[in-house]
Amino acid sequence: MKELVIISGKGGTGKTSITAGFAALAENKVIVDADVDAADLHLVLHPEVRRTTEFMGGHIAVIDSEKCTGCGECVQRCQFGAVSGDFRVDARACEGCGVCVHFCPEKAIAFPERVCGRWFVSETALGPMVHARLGIAEENSGLLVSLLRKEAKLLAEERKLDILIVDGPPGIGCPVISALTGADAVLIISEPTLSGLHDLERAANLAAFLKVPAMVCVNKYDINPAITERIEAFAARQGIRSVGRIPYDREVTAAMVALKNLVAHSDGPAATAVRGLWQAVLTQLYDGSEVSKT
Amino acid sequence: MTKIAVSSEGPTLDDAVDPRFGRAGGFLIVDTETMETHYLDNGSAQAASRGAGYQAAELVAGAGAEVVLSGRVGPKAFDALKTAGIQVGQECDRMTVREAVEKFQKGQITLSGGR
Repeated sequence: MKELVIISGKGGTGKTSITAGFAALAENKVIVDADVDAADLHLVLHPEVRRTTEFMGGHIAVIDSEKCTGCGECVQRCQFGAVSGDFRVDARACEGCGVCVHFCPEKAIAFPERVCGRWFVSETALGPMVHARLGIAEENSGLLVSLLRKEAKLLAEERKLDILIVDGPPGIGCPVISALTGADAVLIISEPTLSGLHDLERAANLAAFLKVPAMVCVNKYDINPAITERIEAFAARQGIRSVGRIPYDREVTAAMVALKNLVAHSDGPAATAVRGLWQAVLTQLYDGSEVSKT
Repeated sequence: MTKIAVSSEGPTLDDAVDPRFGRAGGFLIVDTETMETHYLDNGSAQAASRGAGYQAAELVAGAGAEVVLSGRVGPKAFDALKTAGIQVGQECDRMTVREAVEKFQKGQITLSGGR
């Protein structure tokens, strides 16, 4: 069983459209949307939820009004303005940092775990999908990503499926670290802009640190061929294989707007490039020894 | 006599090395001279939303480990261990804890960090 994670460093490079395309092209897979902060893979894959589980993460402060003496210590200490004048914690503003709990002289503040969202195991026309939805003002976390990957692996083992395709979170923080550790390969989707290049460098450094073989693909490459070349030159210096280039194509936007999967509903230049990209990615994934050569 | 912490899927030397560090199930603390072991449960770090690497590093540092052996140690955990003066050996997964300890004793593991 192989696990491919798709990340971008910079957001908005086209990672999810491409991941949806892979989901359509791959056989025997489990699809994971680990980009829980701004989950959007479900918009194109239309999952039918089969199992829902609450996700507990972090804590919330709850003031016991019986024990509270109204000393105001918590109001003063709270950096997030979450305690009201009448000593009630606003659940949406509370960050669960625990400072008020620690400093309350009456120990009147409880600190239970909070439900921060729900995760789902669903079926799509393309196969099973593991994803999640966060509550208002809640954040993605390394823990949630770790949970989704674990569930997806169990599902793959149960159903004898060959590959996990993971739509990764943006950036390089805890959720991304959690998405990459132990993955078989990472595909970094970049775009030909200076921030695209900058964030590719950061993502590439993380992948190298975690020793996850990396590949790169430049999306919308023809918008700026000069930066595309800089990106591919950087990749070559780092031993990262460039596995494809996708041209700018209005059919991508049209598919998004229609809530359709690009490769299923287009034969245009971008869809064609995504098909070629998938073949190149598969080759690297199953013949990993080639990945670190330039 | 070195105390090493090996990320472990279970409480014995014959359990598999856990490929993760921050979210490993637990750590086997091994005294390489006596081969005495004791198991530390890492449930608290596993349950942490963020910064699991830091918590796990704190756990093994608190147990007096001088070396950590694991599959892969993330950047945050690595920095914490380095600051604590603990050396890190990676790619010790796909074997049992016992095998990892033996490799360490034979000097076959590349270590980084430390004082």
